Amino acid sequence: MAEPTPVQIFRIEEKRKQYRSGSFFLKIGILALFVLVPFVFPSYKTVDLAMQIIMFATLVASFDILLGYTGILSFGHGMFFGIGAYCVAFLIGKYGMPSYLNLALGFVTAALTASALALLISFLSLRVKAIFFAMITLAIAELAIVLATGLSHFTGGEDGISLSMPGIFAVSFSIGDFMGLEITGSVLTYYFIFLSCLGLFLLMLRFTHSPLGRVLQAIRDNVQRAEALGYKTFIFQIISITFGCVVAAIIGGLYAMWVGYVNPASSLEVMAIMLNVLLMVIIGGMGTLYGGIVGAAFLLITQTFLPDLQNLAKDFFPQATLLHNVLERWLLLFGILFILVVIFFPKGVIGSVQDYISRRKTILLGKE
Amino acid sequence: MIEKKTEPIIETKDLTIRFGGHVAVDRVNLRIEPFLLKSIIGPNGAGKTTLFNLMTGQYKPSEGKVFLKGKDITHLSAVERTRLGMGRSFQLTNIFPLLSVLENVRVAIQSRKGFGLNFWRNYLHFSGVEDEAYSILENVLLDQKWAAPASALTHGEQRKLEIAILLALEPEILFLDEPTAGMSQEEVPAILEIIQRLKEIRDRTILLVEHKMDMIMTLSDTIAVLQEGRLIADGNPDEIHKSEVVQEAYLGGGLKRE
Repeated sequence: MAEPTPVQIFRIEEKRKQYRSGSFFLKIGILALFVLVPFVFPSYKTVDLAMQIIMFATLVASFDILLGYTGILSFGHGMFFGIGAYCVAFLIGKYGMPSYLNLALGFVTAALTASALALLISFLSLRVKAIFFAMITLAIAELAIVLATGLSHFTGGEDGISLSMPGIFAVSFSIGDFMGLEITGSVLTYYFIFLSCLGLFLLMLRFTHSPLGRVLQAIRDNVQRAEALGYKTFIFQIISITFGCVVAAIIGGLYAMWVGYVNPASSLEVMAIMLNVLLMVIIGGMGTLYGGIVGAAFLLITQTFLPDLQNLAKDFFPQATLLHNVLERWLLLFGILFILVVIFFPKGVIGSVQDYISRRKTILLGKE
Repeated sequence: MIEKKTEPIIETKDLTIRFGGHVAVDRVNLRIEPFLLKSIIGPNGAGKTTLFNLMTGQYKPSEGKVFLKGKDITHLSAVERTRLGMGRSFQLTNIFPLLSVLENVRVAIQSRKGFGLNFWRNYLHFSGVEDEAYSILENVLLDQKWAAPASALTHGEQRKLEIAILLALEPEILFLDEPTAGMSQEEVPAILEIIQRLKEIRDRTILLVEHKMDMIMTLSDTIAVLQEGRLIADGNPDEIHKSEVVQEAYLGGGLKRE
């Protein structure tokens, strides 16, 4: 038997440590946290916050497939999210009765519409240049808002569409108490969305760890080189874009299920959702997938609780008007926090931590 | 064996390219025998790299044809020629800077083996691919650095990595365009050693463009000399060394042998 190479030794070591490493326990811990939220903090505000973090973390990861793994900037990710939300809303709200079948059909329609549109945009723009993709998606996303608002007889216009959930997802549904918590339709919806997002996340992990995912990273690094290796980069980019956009649309559908209401301002607002997603991916780290969780948690938690700080300040320091004035402009504080994160984690939280670990590993390998 | 040698793996017929009024390559008829190392030399601007580009498909000739194993490939693109077994290095280093050294080579092997479009299995579960990448890195003396990101390598190491990526594609013909260009004096011997090794394996044809005369004399089996786009001599190192035409055109023309 031949002597194992350093690579083989490294991989064996990696496998051995797989279920003992800190990051493994961290992942389990985060999952457990999201499972327990409805039991430990049953207030609507915290459950809603947890749900938003889950959905946005997955959405950011799907955006990361495009930006971090393929090197393609899309301004249309919010639109694909909105398309998904509208598709589900159409089928169980405006044009159909709330039933499981219509709900499933809504998701299928969402996926099909998103993939068709993603393919169309890719064919239109990518042949020319990747930067074209950013511009075209920006234009089409703006157009989508105009259409959603303008075609009011079809989309419900600015009023949007309210939808009610079928069967066990309905608000009125309840199967009684379990460990002190009433298991209502919205609790079941929470777990349904949680599991769906987990599934999507695992799917994306699979995708990025596949040979195809590795080629995408090579393309992101050096398109010409990848082309020279014999890879048809165009096909790889199309697959990646379509996949990312379909995932975004499905999350949009889940979002509609959770909120129970869809309108252009909440679901299609390119700037609001896109800006949030961009901020989250920058905070979490590009090309990491897990960055989405950190980014979404950071952004949503600060946005939820920073406004509360002023009430706290008023209760505890009723005299300090300067403090009140600062805290009233909590966005300012958020800006400072954001700048601090970017300064201390230039590659995003996860990206910088991964960098640090791999650098330490290389030093250790060098010493051997 | 002798018959095999007479059958060229690459042949050019009256290969010509003009850029505007300038004839960069002028009616070059070149035969490249398989499993040998052939060097193309000539002063700066003689059209060596242009001739290379015509053979590998980066440029399309104004006139003339390129044959690969007797088959006319003049109309094929560079990518198509890569698939037929022509692997080319560039004067400018061309690697994936953010990927690890090992991954640079692994992605290339993956392309050759044709499972790049698999999106379901973990890339590590394709057995033997990483081992193969590692053994290629050993061949180019880069195995110590396998875990480092490619951008952390020195310039000379990056050239080695580029050769490793080429080798991973298992080309029948290896085109090396000035592999020591821009390299420090200390780094040159290692590259020469790598080329020497590859040559000794004798499982592929190697084509080398170089203008450092001393370097190729010992390395090459045959040498072709270009001057102002024309092929002025073609033969083994001894013949080239003695050739008066070459002496005059190349060595006498300001470039001294050391």
